[in-house]
Amino acid sequence: MNPLFIGTAERRLFGLYEPAASARGKPRAAVLCYPWGIEYTYAHRSMRQLASRLSAAGFHTLRFDYFGTGDSSGEMDQASLVGSSSDVEAAIEALKDIAGTARVVLIGLRVGANIAVDVATRHKSEVEALVLWDPIISGAKYAETLQEDSDVSDDVLREIRAIDLTASLNGIPERSMILVTERSSSHAQLGVPVEFVSAACPWVEAITMSGALPVPAMQRIEEWLR
Amino acid sequence: MAAVEAAYKEQAALLGRHSLVGIVTRPAPAQHKDEPAIVILNTGIVHRVGHHRMYVSLSRELAKTGRTVVRFDFAGIGDSKPRSDSTSPLMASLSDIREVLDTLEKTHGMKKFILVGLCSGADHAVLYAHTDARVVGLVLMDPTLPPTLRYYLHYVMQRLKNIRNWISVATGRSGLMRLLSTHVLSSVRSKPQIEGLSLQNLRFSSYLPQCYRGAAERGVRMLAVFTSVSVRHTYKQQMTDAFPEASAGGKLRLEFFPESDHLFSGEKVRSRLGAVICDWLDSR
Repeated sequence: MNPLFIGTAERRLFGLYEPAASARGKPRAAVLCYPWGIEYTYAHRSMRQLASRLSAAGFHTLRFDYFGTGDSSGEMDQASLVGSSSDVEAAIEALKDIAGTARVVLIGLRVGANIAVDVATRHKSEVEALVLWDPIISGAKYAETLQEDSDVSDDVLREIRAIDLTASLNGIPERSMILVTERSSSHAQLGVPVEFVSAACPWVEAITMSGALPVPAMQRIEEWLR
Repeated sequence: MAAVEAAYKEQAALLGRHSLVGIVTRPAPAQHKDEPAIVILNTGIVHRVGHHRMYVSLSRELAKTGRTVVRFDFAGIGDSKPRSDSTSPLMASLSDIREVLDTLEKTHGMKKFILVGLCSGADHAVLYAHTDARVVGLVLMDPTLPPTLRYYLHYVMQRLKNIRNWISVATGRSGLMRLLSTHVLSSVRSKPQIEGLSLQNLRFSSYLPQCYRGAAERGVRMLAVFTSVSVRHTYKQQMTDAFPEASAGGKLRLEFFPESDHLFSGEKVRSRLGAVICDWLDSR
């Protein structure tokens, strides 16, 4: 576990790099994209576990805090979806440099998945696979929950309300997976296969505080990436 | 923004033998070495950033006033690796605090510390403080309080308002009776020692008052902050009633945030909390 700061002096991003535990075959690398707000707080433990599992499975992993979130520089009201996308780009560059790989896997949870979609469609040559774990389907609904639990600016709420996963899936890499732990009628509208895994929701307070981990979901991600 | 960020510097660190992951926030220019450094402890299993990023904001705010602040994850929490030995969770956390303070003293020359914690973090801070002369202050947010006589009176008065509680008493399923029997049994069984103690049974332990007493006798200053009245904290003076030794000699300051929930949700309450802590630090 190597804590480090990546990014620029104006946009210092706190990250944790875990090297691949085994050096068999070609090195592979994965960037993990956290959720936002209170979901970030509760999902942190699961994302850490996922990173460790992937590291043990031979992936160099990097998870990091977007600008204005977690231990990164900036204040909460400076965080934005556009800015977070640029932070993922910085994380990809940093991990490619550290791990010596040309491409990375992007794994995003909740709004982190939507941010990963944005980056993956614009950087196809650098993203070998994309995992969208319980992505936000409707920005409008999500904005309501985010507003209840977090201090977010009106500008960010506007960005969030505009999220439309169905429309943004057109340009995603061929090797992509949407994994959900909660069934929803809106999944059918996506027009792409959605894989359901019965597992704990890692971003929900009650489940997280009980100590539960979404092990089946993490196992499935690991297996799919092999 | 650049000017604001220049007021402090943040550095990632691996602290102690167990390489606990932490962030050191230093003021610019650097703090005088005789000034106590602030060390923030985890709340439950939530990592060092805290709910609503409260510990990041607090660290930066305090650093802007010239103080060095360290937040870190106990082993097995947040980004720190779990221990491989069989130490109990409580003893492991207390040992982690010592390791971190030792490291900060060795590598950064820090000699005095103020521990800050919310809920379990506050309990860890109290349980540790009396064992280490380097700890000179405590900021305790919603620490565990034992039930006092007045607490029981409040409890009874509240319960009597509800007819269902009368039925519970009549049928022998009263929560009060369970609470009292737990209290009495724990008081009889409990020894004023840390062996066998966990945060779950801390409320009735006779070790807890001893920790407050020990800290007060050493001259440790305390700021205790309480959020909205909870099931376990029903009136303002419960802390001074429960730990009279801690409040003697003007070493204890009490602050109340009736408008806040336990997690200080809301920017306004967190901002007020930061101001209260800064004021308390300045008031030495």
